[in-house]
Formats: sequence, structure tokens, C-alpha cells
Amino acid sequence: MAIDPSAAGRVYPPQSYDVSREKIREFAEAVGDPSPVYRDVEAAKELGHPDVIAPPTFAMIPVLRGFDVLIDDLGVVYSQVIHANQRFLHRRPIRAGDRLTTTTTLDSIRSRSGSDLLGIRCEVADDSGEAVCTATATLLVRETGAGE
Amino acid sequence: MTDVGAVVAERTFQVTRGDLVRYAGASGDFNPIHWSDRVANAVGLPGVLGHGMLTMALAGRLLTDWAGDPAAVVEFGVRFARPVVVPDDDGGVTVTASGTLSEVRGDGLVGIDVTVLVGDEKVLTQARAVVRAPTNAA
Repeated sequence: MAIDPSAAGRVYPPQSYDVSREKIREFAEAVGDPSPVYRDVEAAKELGHPDVIAPPTFAMIPVLRGFDVLIDDLGVVYSQVIHANQRFLHRRPIRAGDRLTTTTTLDSIRSRSGSDLLGIRCEVADDSGEAVCTATATLLVRETGAGE
Repeated sequence: MTDVGAVVAERTFQVTRGDLVRYAGASGDFNPIHWSDRVANAVGLPGVLGHGMLTMALAGRLLTDWAGDPAAVVEFGVRFARPVVVPDDDGGVTVTASGTLSEVRGDGLVGIDVTVLVGDEKVLTQARAVVRAPTNAA
């Protein structure tokens, strides 16, 4: 069943994500990055950061919290979903101790040869309301046939 | 001063099934097409695919290593043009990433076009970043 076009414009409730030093280290290890700025507070301070900072694409973790709510709302399962594009605009690096909230907007729905293309925007902010990152993405949702 | 058009960084990464499991856990992306051949085949894929975001993260390492400070990466966007099939063997798949200086702006920021290949196929397209240039480079 195609996604209801009237869902375009929906804004989903903010989702929280607390950033820990250990999660940053785990993520850095998973992408094979040995940089000390992801592990060692002193190394981060030498670059002028108050605590360890996260790799640029770490932002996908809080953003995924927002995607989850949207995907659930639309009644889609992730095995139908193809990540078509992703873009981050960083206002400042994410750092350990951040208490982030992600507010997700379904900007657009377009149909293309039986699939739906969802234009999604996530605004990631910290607990003082300061903008941290804007993430925009297109997800392609493939139609599943009856009984699939 | 690095010239526009110059390749500023290039490197090769190996991605194995083990790396996908690790990335799934670290990122929270547990889509089974990234770990189950059965599910991948059932939805018509040629095999287990690497997370597009893992490929993007590897390309990001090129940028953060070049810049010297990960905070220097101000904008980074990609299109996931082709799936990266990761075979269930010890070697996995080889991903090659390179960055080309595309623009030098007056505000200390530079544009980097990123090319990410598996074999001779581009797996990311429209891969562009805006980075605060390291003081010794541009």
C-alpha cells in the first residue's frame, strides 16, 4: 500500500539522546578511526573542545531516533527502506555529555515507479535549545506485494 | 596553497561482515539486510549490503584526517548510488576513497568532492563536504 500523501508535513515529537564518552569511542572503533580526539579528553582539549567530540556521521545515531518514529508512524518496516541520500550541516561538533533532542519533519512524499521517496529533515539541538546539526535525508520505501 | 582540482587525500578500506556487525551495534541500525543473507535475498538484493552510513563514515575519516580536527567538517552530504555487497569471507570488500579540492572560499572554508569506489564503480555520488581548511593546506 502506498504511503498516504497527506502525511507530508508531519512533525514528530522530539526524541532524546544522551551522548556518552563510551558511545563515541564505540562508534569510532566501529568505523576504524583511531583518533585520540574521540577517546582522550586531554587530546580533545588540545583542539579547544571541552570534552571528547564525535565523528561527523555520529549524528546519524540521534537522527535515527527520529527516523524510527516516522517509520513506525507510516507503518513501514526497515527491510523495505533504502537510504538514498544523507546530508549533515554541523553547527558545532557533538560532544560527550550532550543531551540532544531530534525533531523530525516529513518534508515531502513523492511516488516513483511504485516506490515512495520520503524527504526527511531532522533538527538536532542540545538542552539549551542551541542548534547542533541539521540532517536531511531521502528514504526510498519499496512497495511490498500482497502477502509479502 | 593547495590548488583547486588537487587530490588532497586518498585511502583504501577493507569492509568485512564482522565490520557490519560491529557498525550495526554501534550505530543502532539493525536492518537485517546488513547481516542476513536470507532477508537480503528475500527482498531481491544480491547479498548482504554494507550500511551506506558506514561507507559515508569511511569517507568522513578521509576528511577528518585531512582537516586534523573532526569539528572542521561543517557540511557533508552523499547520495548512496550503488549498494556495497559484502561477501562472507575473510577479505570482505575493498572501498577506495579520495578527496579533491573543489572550491576555496574566502571565509576559510573549502569544498571537497569525495569519490568512493568499489572496483571502478562509484558507490557514493554527489559526495561533497565543506571543511575548515587546515592551516598548512589551503
